[in-house]
Amino acid sequence: MTSYRLPKGGLIDRQSPLSFRFDGKALSGFSGDSLASALLANGQRLVARSFKYHRPRGILTAGSAEPNALMTIGSGGRTEPNTRATMQELYQGLEAQSQNRWPSLDLDIGALNSLLSPFLGAGFYYKTFMWPGALWEKLYEPFIRKAAGLGKATYEADPDGYEKSWAHCDLLVIGAGPAGLGAALTAGRSGARVIVVDEHALAGGSLLAETASIGGATAAEFARQAIAELESLPNVEVLTRTTAFGWYDGNVFGAVQRVQKHVATPKDNVPVERLWRIAAKRALLATGTEERPLVFGGNDIPGVMMAGAARSYLNRYGVAFGKRAAVFTTNDSGYALARDLEGAGVELAAIVDSRADAAIAWSGKARLVKGAFVSDAKGGKSLSGISIWKDGKSETLDVDALAVSGGFSPIIHLACHRGGRPVWSDTHSAFLAPTKLNGLSLAGAVKATSGIAACMADGAAQASALLGELGFKVEPATFGAVEGDIAVPAAKAVWSIPGIKGKAFVDFQNDVHRKDLGLAVQEGYGHVELAKRYTTTGMATDQGKLSNVNAIGLLAEARGVSPADVGTTTFRPFYTPVSFGALTGAYHRDHFQPVRKSPLHDWAAKNGAKFVETGLWYRSSWFPRDGETSWRESVDREVRNVRLNAGLCDVSMLGKIEIVGADAGEFLNRIYSNGFAKLPVGKARYGLMLREDGIVYDDGTTSRIEENRYFMTTTTAYAAGVMNHLEFCSQALWPDLDVRLSSVTDQWAQMAIAGPKSRTILQAIVDDDISNEAFPFLAARDVSLFSGQLRGRLFRISFSGELAYELAVPAGYGESVADALMDAGKQHGICAYGVEALSVLRIEKGHVTHNELNGTVVPADLGFGKMVSAAKPDFIGKAMVDREGLVAEDRPQLVGVVPLDPAQAFRTGSHILAKDAAATLENDQGYVTSSCYSPHIGSTIGLALVKRGSQRHGEDVMIWNGLRNEYTPGRLCSPVFFDPANEKLHV
Amino acid sequence: MSKYRLIHRPALSDKQPFNASGIGLTALPEGHVIHVLAEQGADPSAMLKGLAEQGHSVRYAAPGQWYIVGDEPLADDALAALLTRLTPHAEGVDQSHGRVRILARGPMVERVLAKGSGTDLALSAFVVGRSTTTLIGHIAAHITRVEDHAFEIMVLRGFAESLWDDLAQMSAEFAA
Repeated sequence: MTSYRLPKGGLIDRQSPLSFRFDGKALSGFSGDSLASALLANGQRLVARSFKYHRPRGILTAGSAEPNALMTIGSGGRTEPNTRATMQELYQGLEAQSQNRWPSLDLDIGALNSLLSPFLGAGFYYKTFMWPGALWEKLYEPFIRKAAGLGKATYEADPDGYEKSWAHCDLLVIGAGPAGLGAALTAGRSGARVIVVDEHALAGGSLLAETASIGGATAAEFARQAIAELESLPNVEVLTRTTAFGWYDGNVFGAVQRVQKHVATPKDNVPVERLWRIAAKRALLATGTEERPLVFGGNDIPGVMMAGAARSYLNRYGVAFGKRAAVFTTNDSGYALARDLEGAGVELAAIVDSRADAAIAWSGKARLVKGAFVSDAKGGKSLSGISIWKDGKSETLDVDALAVSGGFSPIIHLACHRGGRPVWSDTHSAFLAPTKLNGLSLAGAVKATSGIAACMADGAAQASALLGELGFKVEPATFGAVEGDIAVPAAKAVWSIPGIKGKAFVDFQNDVHRKDLGLAVQEGYGHVELAKRYTTTGMATDQGKLSNVNAIGLLAEARGVSPADVGTTTFRPFYTPVSFGALTGAYHRDHFQPVRKSPLHDWAAKNGAKFVETGLWYRSSWFPRDGETSWRESVDREVRNVRLNAGLCDVSMLGKIEIVGADAGEFLNRIYSNGFAKLPVGKARYGLMLREDGIVYDDGTTSRIEENRYFMTTTTAYAAGVMNHLEFCSQALWPDLDVRLSSVTDQWAQMAIAGPKSRTILQAIVDDDISNEAFPFLAARDVSLFSGQLRGRLFRISFSGELAYELAVPAGYGESVADALMDAGKQHGICAYGVEALSVLRIEKGHVTHNELNGTVVPADLGFGKMVSAAKPDFIGKAMVDREGLVAEDRPQLVGVVPLDPAQAFRTGSHILAKDAAATLENDQGYVTSSCYSPHIGSTIGLALVKRGSQRHGEDVMIWNGLRNEYTPGRLCSPVFFDPANEKLHV
Repeated sequence: MSKYRLIHRPALSDKQPFNASGIGLTALPEGHVIHVLAEQGADPSAMLKGLAEQGHSVRYAAPGQWYIVGDEPLADDALAALLTRLTPHAEGVDQSHGRVRILARGPMVERVLAKGSGTDLALSAFVVGRSTTTLIGHIAAHITRVEDHAFEIMVLRGFAESLWDDLAQMSAEFAA
């Protein structure tokens, strides 16, 4: 006695058989089947084991709320656990595995948990396993986790692609059932841009399981024709297999489309899932209702099914859910199933209606028992009978299938994602959506409308009204007469059923039964949020789609209040689980983040550069040569060569901003703490930028190229930030100034040519005279290159402390110019040097970077006190830079630091202690901000921010690395280790 | 070094045009891109209209800002003349090497760009000639509809290769 395929009927293609496997067993189905319908058609009722008690479970629903039939689909990297069999389309070769069982689904050792169930009630793990405490992590928790659970994720990489996409529309229709189709046809015919999403493979919603006709066509055929019309309209997009999972600010809806989850071998160039962000001017929720289970003993035994699901399997898939069935209902909807079952030749033993005064006429063969309840179901792995309780008496009925209908809950989740709370309606015995939803309306069953005709008309009217708000004049679409329509009046909800003997489940997925909720109230966890956490009802992958309303009803009864007083837990996205793949989209592996390449990237690569990621930039770090065995060896060579001959370094990553306008000079004078008003044309100046609070923000040079045209460089890290800062100052602080800004970072390939032979090398390509007299230190101007072939910008500035220049050329010529310089410099010993050598050179010279400009220092801390102009009337930071705390005598100040023993090294981040002080944080005097091995000094050197540092040159200290337990005796010194008189800059 | 032959290397020189039935990607010639910055309160529209009538392509960039773009590089004197023409209404900044232009063309071009951009690019909402700055995935770009089914995408040079690779991936499903 079990479920089986009917000889005819359904929307499946019986000419297209498909074979598949469940737990290794070969089975077959048809194209158009879901995995669930195919399993039922094969008589496979037992499909899962429950979470905690390992109870046998069968298929309960035909949709996305399924709590039981969770399976692992696929293998290897395509393993997907917790897939709902009710939502998985069947395909040739599908492999499905049941979960949470050992050694097999039929014989599951874990089922012994059921024997222990008296000790495993709600919150049992809060009360037990308390001692010995040490065993919790080692024994109890691992054991509990192993004994309970869902599917397991694979450790293998997912081979498939995912992506995200935006969509825009005038009207988004969510759900393509009667109301959704009514709305979509109305809107589509108006010319408005319409998107229709439906989570199933086949649009039509409840119409696909209906026996009614619309305009002379079957309901399913009407749906097919409606979708065909919609798909033919250029202004309409129909997205099936697409679940709208969230409603967000700006009337943006999240939806995930299962593009290739229904095929055996996904195409490589097409994503398997696509995450949509749909910006809708208006949206219509036509998501229908969820049928409620009833809470009676053994209501989880395979063979017990929701009535609407049983009807769906019968009419849509041609599958009977049993050979001798009964229907247990609290409302009129169960009679539609009863009629269809008898029509399909399935023996119907009884209709059990909880209403003594049920007014619906029944003319079928089955016995009708009014005012009665199914108090218990019997059976183990398959239903064998039910107990019917009426007026205090109980009778047993042998059936192998029981359909239940406890009424309907509108699917209002999305309407509650932006803060609205569900509202209990006594009239409808259901929670309804909040009102005054901005941009979102509801149509059809989701707002408790019943019947095909009424829902279609409501959808059409709602669409017409919404589009009217957008200026479209469209009459609601009309449809043919509906024959066989069933409007189900609201019926009183039934929470508690009398006469129960067995375990009556409220939440199937979490094995929460009615006594657990009573226990929660008894122990003080009666609030709906507390009860959820205490019992776990409403948790896990289904988030209580079936269980929540019954849990609330039972809590209300236990507390003696209305469900309105209990309320619901908070509805949040996602409506159904969304894969990490869909959330990640295409942004993984090589596309994880953008790569930003310098115009000299290929030049560096062909010179053998090792690259390092600096933000998004790839910077050349060092250039190893044959025979060099470590990065230090290469860097030391590069540093020595720059000091001895010359080197070329790619500095294109520096932020570069062109500032134009009649007030550009005044603007810079207010931006920098030092003076810029009198900077002559053709000159560069080092500038310090402060924040409003007086702390140093960024530094760099700015050159005056023309009277009203300046060229600013920023640090690489703060390039975008400084640009934003300047725009803010220009637009918001000083809109009266004529200043215009353009980021030219990418326009110029910029290279530092440093070293005593740099001038000689440069002169080979620069047409202008760049002698010290003609082009002195801090000169900056446009120059002619290669006998007039190209113009560039030359700056005589130095980060290394050597005679040095920075040459900017149009980026497309960068590689060629660098090649020319290397060629010209070959006879002078030029080398390429990377950011590591650059760093050594600047530390030797005592130049700061954001290691030192760490968001806590003021100019005086760095020895730049004179760069804070006292003469300027105002600049950013002026008002705050002299605050009490920023001029305190014991502030950290920039110093150099060296080890007493040159053979010893220390690390950046190490702390400075007074010579004999204990190594405690209380004795901390500052820390090393930068360090390196200096070939010039012959030891490790460092820059540090140390209390009163500028007054302590020569003092012995201890350099302490607490993380590595390293102690290095050292000495504080001047931060300028090389050419303190700056003679080399001016040669 | 007067005889040294300078080589201009386009940012996308290593990328072959992507051609599929629904979408094609082409790196446009690195001609000229001039960033036009109008003086506050000035109205350079007549001047820009005049430039457009003389064959320059003008793209709106931001309030008071435009790009003048073209496939031909401007020699120093031509660039200087163009910058002079902008005054006194506006100043110009040469971005010819700082911005790279990609042409995306084909019936699926809106679908491809929608994978990265939140802008509504339907023809009815984003007509030929309209421009905007938007993110395409993680990369900022300036896009202009140049035909019913074609967009010019302008991106910072340093991101050009990365954006090309992203666009190619976004286009892959429309390849045969």
